[in-house]
Amino acid sequence: MEQDLRQLQADAETNLATLDNLKDLEEIRVRYLGRKGLFTSLLRQLGQVSAEDRPRFGKLANKIKEELEQKFNTRKAELGASDTGAAGQRDDLSLPGRLVPFGRLHPVTQIMDEVCSIFVDLGFAVAEGPDVELDYYNFEALNIPLHHPARDMHDTFYINDSILLRTHTSPMQIRAMEKEKPPLRIIAPGKVYRCDSDITHTPMFQQVEGFLVDRKVSFADLKGVLTVFCQKMFDQDDIRLRFRPSFFPFTEPSAEVDIGCVICRGEGCRVCKQTGWLEILGAGMIDPEVFKMVDYDPEEFSGFAFGLGIERIAMLKYGIDDIRLFYENDLRFLKQF
Amino acid sequence: MKFTLNWLKEYIDVDLSVEVVADKLTMLGLEVDNVIELYRDLDAIKVARIVTVRPHPDADRLTLCDVVLDAEEFQVVCGAPNAKPGLLTAIALPGVTLPSGMEVRKAAIRGQESSGMLCSEKDLGISEDHSGIMELPDIARAGQSLPDALSLRDTLIEVDLTPNRPDCTSVLGIAREIAGFTNQKLKQPVKNELPELTGEGVPFSVEVLDPEDCPRYGARLLKNVSIIPSPWWLRKRLLSVGLRPINNVVDITNLVMLEYGQPLHAFDFHRLGGGRIIVRRARAGEHIVTLDGEKRQLDQEMLLICDAEKPVAVAGVMGGENSEVIESTRDILLESACFNPLSVRRTARQLNLGTEASYRFERGVDPEVAPRAMERAVQLLVDIAGAEIVANGYDCVAGIKPREAIKLRISRTNDILGLQLDVMEVGRCLESIELTVTVADEDTLLVIPPSFRVDLEREVDLIEEVARLQGYNEIPTTMPIVPMSFPEQQPGLELRKKLAAMLVSQGFFEAINYSFVDENYFDQLQLQGNDPIRKAVALLNPLSEDQKIMRTMMLPGLLQNIARNTSRQSNDIRLFEIGKVFHPLADEPLPQENIRVAGVISGRRYPGAPLLHFGSTPVDIYDSKGIVEAILQEVRIAKGVKLEFSKESSTIPSYIQPDSCIVCWVGDRLLGYIGKIDTDVLKSFGIKQAAFFFDLDLDLITEHGPEPKSFAQLPKFPSVNWDIALIVPETVASGELLTAIDYAGEALVEAAEIFDIYRGDAIDAGHKSVAISLTYRSLEQTLDDKTVNKVHQRLIAMLEKRFQGKLRDAG
Repeated sequence: MEQDLRQLQADAETNLATLDNLKDLEEIRVRYLGRKGLFTSLLRQLGQVSAEDRPRFGKLANKIKEELEQKFNTRKAELGASDTGAAGQRDDLSLPGRLVPFGRLHPVTQIMDEVCSIFVDLGFAVAEGPDVELDYYNFEALNIPLHHPARDMHDTFYINDSILLRTHTSPMQIRAMEKEKPPLRIIAPGKVYRCDSDITHTPMFQQVEGFLVDRKVSFADLKGVLTVFCQKMFDQDDIRLRFRPSFFPFTEPSAEVDIGCVICRGEGCRVCKQTGWLEILGAGMIDPEVFKMVDYDPEEFSGFAFGLGIERIAMLKYGIDDIRLFYENDLRFLKQF
Repeated sequence: MKFTLNWLKEYIDVDLSVEVVADKLTMLGLEVDNVIELYRDLDAIKVARIVTVRPHPDADRLTLCDVVLDAEEFQVVCGAPNAKPGLLTAIALPGVTLPSGMEVRKAAIRGQESSGMLCSEKDLGISEDHSGIMELPDIARAGQSLPDALSLRDTLIEVDLTPNRPDCTSVLGIAREIAGFTNQKLKQPVKNELPELTGEGVPFSVEVLDPEDCPRYGARLLKNVSIIPSPWWLRKRLLSVGLRPINNVVDITNLVMLEYGQPLHAFDFHRLGGGRIIVRRARAGEHIVTLDGEKRQLDQEMLLICDAEKPVAVAGVMGGENSEVIESTRDILLESACFNPLSVRRTARQLNLGTEASYRFERGVDPEVAPRAMERAVQLLVDIAGAEIVANGYDCVAGIKPREAIKLRISRTNDILGLQLDVMEVGRCLESIELTVTVADEDTLLVIPPSFRVDLEREVDLIEEVARLQGYNEIPTTMPIVPMSFPEQQPGLELRKKLAAMLVSQGFFEAINYSFVDENYFDQLQLQGNDPIRKAVALLNPLSEDQKIMRTMMLPGLLQNIARNTSRQSNDIRLFEIGKVFHPLADEPLPQENIRVAGVISGRRYPGAPLLHFGSTPVDIYDSKGIVEAILQEVRIAKGVKLEFSKESSTIPSYIQPDSCIVCWVGDRLLGYIGKIDTDVLKSFGIKQAAFFFDLDLDLITEHGPEPKSFAQLPKFPSVNWDIALIVPETVASGELLTAIDYAGEALVEAAEIFDIYRGDAIDAGHKSVAISLTYRSLEQTLDDKTVNKVHQRLIAMLEKRFQGKLRDAG
């Protein structure tokens, strides 16, 4: 028995040394070590060996099998490595690694995620609403009745008299306040639509609306939250902010917020039209009329709201000069971010 | 709103630089959009005096003009009919480029030397007038540059007005804001007391039947007006802000409108039937031809100005052709009125007619400004158009409501703004912009806004004024103090992020396509006419035909992305999109918005991976199937999902190649499709290479996942691998063998996997050999061959029987 085993091992090793390709190797492996191979059939004879010798032979058989498997594997690795070239050649480390490149998220998604995560870290919840919206939520409940000149500020796509594509994410203020009572801290990201198309406008773009409602919330608090946001978003702790009076029917006082130009650092350049400032968001204290629409007592609660366009921030951050590029999905563009 | 620095200077002294003025206005909420130096391109144009005019020997329409600039006389060929000796006009000398881009050169015209070009206003981009060369006033001196001679140098400032500041739709309004921060008093254009208008003794009458919509209506009669072109100063004013001069009467009304923000209208008095003015709502079926020549159908909500017989103007929007001031007009009736903003806005929208007048009325015109603007216009008509004033006139004010005092609480103001002002500070602040302030108690002011601030109605409006005047940047910056709470995030959001990250790790780029698409996509996808997916939400006012309906499927956008990229030589494509599709619902006003994840692959399997290692094998159906399998594993709803190959052609969508379509189900609900896009469909999108896609309902996945994680003991005993190679007819789907093994429920089978499919020599035609690797394991003991063999044989027998199979190499 022992001799048979040793013989088998020697034969196998000879074969192993002479073969020169993986196919032969596999064939020989099956012949010797396969489930129906020579080694197995030899082991079957173990039953005929006397009971006291059986553990010894068993141990030996296992040892030989292990050694053989080891040798097969080593040989296999040798053959594998030299399979593409002549045997014994060294790896050419100047060749590229075996890399399957990752794709990328759309730049707008990347910025959107960044914006949202800043506010989530500040304790804001994320809520989403419908793209196809009722006139009521998009305009009326936001203190923009039918014959209000502020409607001119929105070039609206209509589905019919009472249904439209939302022109901003502000309708989520109403939807959220209808559902819950203060305190509220919510951001609402999403696509919005306006019928306008040129180098700085696409008919669809993305916005984030944010609002905070509680007792005694002030304009100073709005400035605080937006200052933190701008610092984090532009990774600039000494970023300069400027609040300008403006008008939105659903906030009062209303403000437009500029940051010191991130391109020229305030020196004046083409992007900031030589002003040194970049307008990045609109904000204000929620108008009492809006609170009345959702049955909040404006004497008891106050709050602020703000909205910003994601593409604009992406354009500023990456120096993109034509907003339409975002929606052409050209891989040469998408690969850059 | 456009105005110029020189115009402003008529009402206030501005010794600030234009940059400072622009910045101050911007910080007061009047955002300056543009600052433009006017007529900079005319510096090289000079004033020339024509000395003699002689006919051109070889051309009837041309003349030879000898002109002089400084001393030297030279000849210019001219084609204008108004060239005459002594005329001061504008000349572009050789080398000068005109605003049109044309360069003037010394040339011979029909054999006669011409050393320059005499210019019309149009040549110089000043106006559209091309009837002749410019005729300059006597104050100009030959040799002067034209901008100096005409005092053209000026700076245009353009303010992007928000709808809440109608008081700034006028140069005086802007001047008032500047007067506020420079502590000045305005210089009013009308200095005298306004005459009292009682309506007595005038040869016309005014009746306002709807004082609600017309709070004020003033009218005066002016006789013997000569309708001629306006003098240069007036034309220049209008031209500087981009308005076209027409004639003296129209120009005066326009000037006064820009000056005061009060739209005026002049009627030809003799074309007003019965010498009567009646302000009333339109009657059913009435119509009017407006000044632009359009016939307008009117509805009963619209307010009209009528004479004894007919409508003569749409109130606050546009006058009628039937009473227009024309060249032969002698006597005019001048209207200076105030209309209800809502009424004007509604009418303008209904008629789809926006004018300078409606723009102002719909935002709210100061009801007190009408008589002042009227007086200004009357004085100008006397000065410029030789008008004779008919004493007295009408001023109907029945609709004017007195303004009530607004209560302003100082504590509230401080709470909202985060400031700590006292009652005196707030009071002084509001008084600086002409609000009348009375202290009621130490926390309360009673405030009456001036008539021109129609936007100030509520306490919060005043709070905003306080903030604006204090300066937003003077308000402190604090963080809100709110109770801590856990922000509940939108369900499905995390899953979307996870999926996106997974797809990115698989080499996919994210696409974002417009939510609106071309209706023709349905035909391009070869969908049946009655396919329910054709039911889409349509836009009433799409920007273009290819953005007409809200998408009901993700695929068309992605196919378009393939076409775009391949046409730009990016042929290896892995794109995905997570977004909404929209399906109209029968009994809901809003459509169902369904979030989907879809992807397309085309070209090389591993785009961007080194060719050396990965070759350029193109993608196939297994790539798209594999991605879906990976998605399902990642979101852990794999157990509920059934992937089915469609056999019945009726269940295969028309855009998928019938033999390469996989339908995915969660229970009995359709999850989506995996497939190879039909070649004709690809062709219709302009795609020349094979493309595969997947498209899954993400809401359904959110609803069904993820399965909770739970721990299973790690096995203590080894497993053994046994193989089966089974020859089965080609018609058998290989995967069914695995399903059958799974279904057999053998406890010892841990896993089964197909590792080879073989067709060829030793296999009968119409058959294939499917090699399956089975992993056996017991959780209780190490398995011996006998135990494994028993199960193994049972499985072989089962497979042979079910699939008409035969064990290959049965030895």
